Amino acid sequence: MFELLEDAGFTQVKSAVVPDFRFRHESTRNAAEGYGVKAVMMTAVKPE
Amino acid sequence: MSNHADAQASLELVLKDEIIRMYNEVAEDPDAEFHFYHGREAAEMFGYEPEWLDRAPPGSVSSFAGVGNPHERADLREGETVLDLGSGAGLDAIIASWAVGPSGKVIGVDINPAMCDRAQAHAADEGMAMECHEGRMEEIPVSDDSVDVILSNGVINLSFQKRRVTEEMYRVLKPGGRISITDIVSGRELSQSIVNDPKLWAS
Repeated sequence: MFELLEDAGFTQVKSAVVPDFRFRHESTRNAAEGYGVKAVMMTAVKPE
Repeated sequence: MSNHADAQASLELVLKDEIIRMYNEVAEDPDAEFHFYHGREAAEMFGYEPEWLDRAPPGSVSSFAGVGNPHERADLREGETVLDLGSGAGLDAIIASWAVGPSGKVIGVDINPAMCDRAQAHAADEGMAMECHEGRMEEIPVSDDSVDVILSNGVINLSFQKRRVTEEMYRVLKPGGRISITDIVSGRELSQSIVNDPKLWAS
């Protein structure tokens, strides 16, 4: 996602993990963990 | 069209139906349990201010299905035009409308026309006029260079064409405009069985 934003022309692309995101069920949590799934916050700017 | 393109187009149609079904279910049966947290429980988990959740129309809160808090870094200012991409039942749009005030404008876009109606009804309960367009994030139904800020919460991951989505966000933003989004990313490529299963992909 980070690279896609930069490729589109965005600058000042920043990301941070959403610390409290998790799935409700343990089975989904484990599967998600296996794929490195996480929630992120991203900000970016379209240059002037 | 190639076989691959045919297959993708067909999968996208199935996925669209599954997304509409799942989020309708959240909106119509907010007490049901899903594999993701939703409603007030989720919003509080992500740091939404309790006062926001008390003030917003209850239906917009109970249907909330975001994955974070895009307001945290949005720095919205009075008079700005905000686009909520994948506006759902309207909670994020309503919170944005308080920040931009009556001189600002909030536009929702959602693939599900019924969800647009729901968001507009919730916005009307708040005394605000929210524009909401049925549309795809790969073809945002908004003019070029017309938006100051794009918010989005847990939606872009649902697209098979994320590059196209980022290009569309760039197109509709004014020069100097910004995005504040929260979404799900994966560190590894998903298996074909997940990609081909609309239920899993829509989750």
